[in-house]
Amino acid sequence: MENDSRTVSFQRLSSVDSIVSDDSCEYYQTDIYEQLPSSLSKRRCQYVDQAQEDDDYEDFEYVSHLNRDWSSTQPLKMLPLSLQEKKEIREKRNQERLSINPWKSWTQSQQIARRRLREQLEMFFSGLLPWKRTLNKIEGGFGVGVKAYFVFLRYLLCLNLLNCAIIIGSVLIPSLIVGNRSPPWYRTQKNDSVLDIFLGSGFLERSPIFYTFYEYKALGPICLNTSLLFFAGMVSILILSLIMIVHRTVVGYKHTWLTGSSFTGNMSKKVFCGWDFCIQDAQTASLKHSFIRNELKMDLEEQRFRVKVSQRTLKQWVVLCFLRAVLNFLVLLLLGGSFILIYYASEVSEEKISIHWTLNLFWEYLPPITITLVNFLLPQLFNTISVFEDYSLTTQLNLTLVRSIFLKLASLGIFLFFLIRKAIATGKCDETEFGKEMYKLTVFHLLACVCNVLVAYPRTLLVEKCPSSKLVKMVGKPEFVIPLNVLDLVYSQTVIWVGVFYCPLLPAISILKLLAIFYMKKFTLVRCCVPAQRMFRTTSSSVLFNFMLLLGLIMSAVTLGININRFERGHCGPFTYENSVFNVTSKCVETLPLPAQKAISYITSEAFAFALILAEAIILTSFVSRGTANRKAIERLKDMLIMCSSDKRFLVKQHSTLVRRQKKIQKNTEEMADYVSNISRES
Amino acid sequence: MGSKHTTFRDDQLDEYQDCTFFTSKEILRLHGRFRDLAPNIVPMDYTNNPDITLPSSVITAMPELKENPFRHSIVEAFSEDGKGNLSFNDFVDMFSVLSEMAPLDLKIIYAFKIYDFNRDGFLCEKDVEETVHRLTGEELRPEERRLVSQRVMEEADLDGDWKLSLIDFENMISKAPDFISTFHVRI
Repeated sequence: MENDSRTVSFQRLSSVDSIVSDDSCEYYQTDIYEQLPSSLSKRRCQYVDQAQEDDDYEDFEYVSHLNRDWSSTQPLKMLPLSLQEKKEIREKRNQERLSINPWKSWTQSQQIARRRLREQLEMFFSGLLPWKRTLNKIEGGFGVGVKAYFVFLRYLLCLNLLNCAIIIGSVLIPSLIVGNRSPPWYRTQKNDSVLDIFLGSGFLERSPIFYTFYEYKALGPICLNTSLLFFAGMVSILILSLIMIVHRTVVGYKHTWLTGSSFTGNMSKKVFCGWDFCIQDAQTASLKHSFIRNELKMDLEEQRFRVKVSQRTLKQWVVLCFLRAVLNFLVLLLLGGSFILIYYASEVSEEKISIHWTLNLFWEYLPPITITLVNFLLPQLFNTISVFEDYSLTTQLNLTLVRSIFLKLASLGIFLFFLIRKAIATGKCDETEFGKEMYKLTVFHLLACVCNVLVAYPRTLLVEKCPSSKLVKMVGKPEFVIPLNVLDLVYSQTVIWVGVFYCPLLPAISILKLLAIFYMKKFTLVRCCVPAQRMFRTTSSSVLFNFMLLLGLIMSAVTLGININRFERGHCGPFTYENSVFNVTSKCVETLPLPAQKAISYITSEAFAFALILAEAIILTSFVSRGTANRKAIERLKDMLIMCSSDKRFLVKQHSTLVRRQKKIQKNTEEMADYVSNISRES
Repeated sequence: MGSKHTTFRDDQLDEYQDCTFFTSKEILRLHGRFRDLAPNIVPMDYTNNPDITLPSSVITAMPELKENPFRHSIVEAFSEDGKGNLSFNDFVDMFSVLSEMAPLDLKIIYAFKIYDFNRDGFLCEKDVEETVHRLTGEELRPEERRLVSQRVMEEADLDGDWKLSLIDFENMISKAPDFISTFHVRI
């Protein structure tokens, strides 16, 4: 019986037409296939004893060492076996442990104890992160992209906390200990008013928030004075932020690089990693189903778009290129116009008017208002423009994003450019004026967020109360647009870095601001927003955002350098003319021992910088060439894998054909023998 | 002072702690959950390792699993008999692998088992089509589902046999950093 069924399957395999047979299930059930080393190694290691008896042991041994080593040092939890089997292995290991020498068992138990300690520490530190449950709820309701925004917000909060800690330690505490001038800063004076909170003048100007509060006071040895501590604190903030951002960018970039270009591998990831196994309520589940469906439909759509692109005629291409050039020119015009507007608003805001306090307030806040308006309107225009440029959907989104990033950073850049070009006025403390502008930008950002909530909530109420009116149908509930919100956060962080030198408590203010923004955005999201119909791809864009953060940091460092240079002849704060940054640091360096001085002077010379850059260029080149070589090797190995696999299939089929033929010949000879013996018996 | 009901002996709890990613408190909590599913069948006292299994229909009605489109396949992958009847050991094993602390390669092995609907050790095109069907319901037309599964096979199949083996699956998942955060169940 068995033989017959086997012959039937071999017959199908041996047909010449089926070189690549669709019914390849039989191929995987043939005798020879089950004896191949690769099939044996797929089974669990418990079959080692069985294989040891066969002759194939050598092959098996060679192949099994390629697999993961399920040896006795692997923690039990990591084994892919059922619980009962794990318990049996545990018993075996315990017995082994009794028979091995005490030194080994002691080291093993130390390893286990250390691993348990590490796990506990990790659990403790992850428990310190706030808002875990809130973020999980947000993820369930609105997707991974929105959660990524709030995770980014929490990350910036931690960054600012660290910055604040450094400032309090190196700047605030020394100045408070040393004491201040005769009228204490916390005593209110004649001209103070509530408006000071918004303008940063009067009471606030004298407080530790701004630059004027701090001054040069020696604290003993030459190297220990408040000014040097101030400078050291600020520089360490910038360096710490640089290290954290670079680390985050590199980790994110590695993920994107691993995933390859945005096209390959996407569909399979969406299918197998798309479902979030944490989802517990039906509404979230149906939302997730529609997310996944939309994503797959978008991908199929992109495939169709790609086919369409490949079928464009030359005439269509020419028209399209011309249209794209015109639209890009339009975009440049819009950008240029907005920059001129910002510059003009900054210039106009210089002239103080004093008609009424509200108008005065508005006039002082004109630059932040213009910047925010421009950054609100222009991305919507970019969105509409990109529709006409006839790109695929992801390219449209990315293009709008890049343009918005450029707009945001450049508008801040134009404002800083204006502030730098401003003539230095005598009598007032210019450094504090600069700090005040950054303070005003921060405060206005918070006000803008509050306005957002005040607009979104009535809109939601309107949509819920009268759902049938035409206006409501046109407007609809607000959607949480992730990229613009993330850009907002990055912009505010850049402002903090730019202003921290002249407004040292700005990180503390931003911590409060970020907390307020978290709860406001959470309220807007949960109460007012509908889930976006298009899921936002986080992994590839997070690299873009981290990169923008890095650019912001670089911009702030450059601005700081220019400002320190500009304010060389200042007369207020810790760095006056006699005690400029350069003077203070060089006085401290002179007190160091001679070898240290020589080392420092060498490190800051041009020769060292040049050598460093050259070394970096060489290292980068070697990495890039290694990467290219690896990629080529991967391509070759992939081809080799496909070839070997089809060789294997061919050989298995040949083998089964030969075996079948042999069996047939054997059957024939047996039949012949029977026939001959029958004949001889008869005769 | 009330009498202490011992559910597990101390050495049993040690065993569970070594073999899973749960602490003894969590094991006891899991036992409570297991018992809540069928209080008449599951005994309080597990010190002599009773051989009680709960059918798959009871397990898949748990709130953690009830909205999951793959719940039947998950329960079958962890059951001893392959039909979805879980003993307490299988129950703990399942939630241990699906917990946040399980490492990536362990999850990949079990994810492969879960997505392999016809249990032949490979993900063939039909398995992928079934996965897409369960993920999207009736929203996609059959030819769209076939297009999607063909694309998946093109992207992930390394050795050209039009089936995904564990190695192909592992290679594909290693490029997806979201996997470890989506493939877990909180209990």
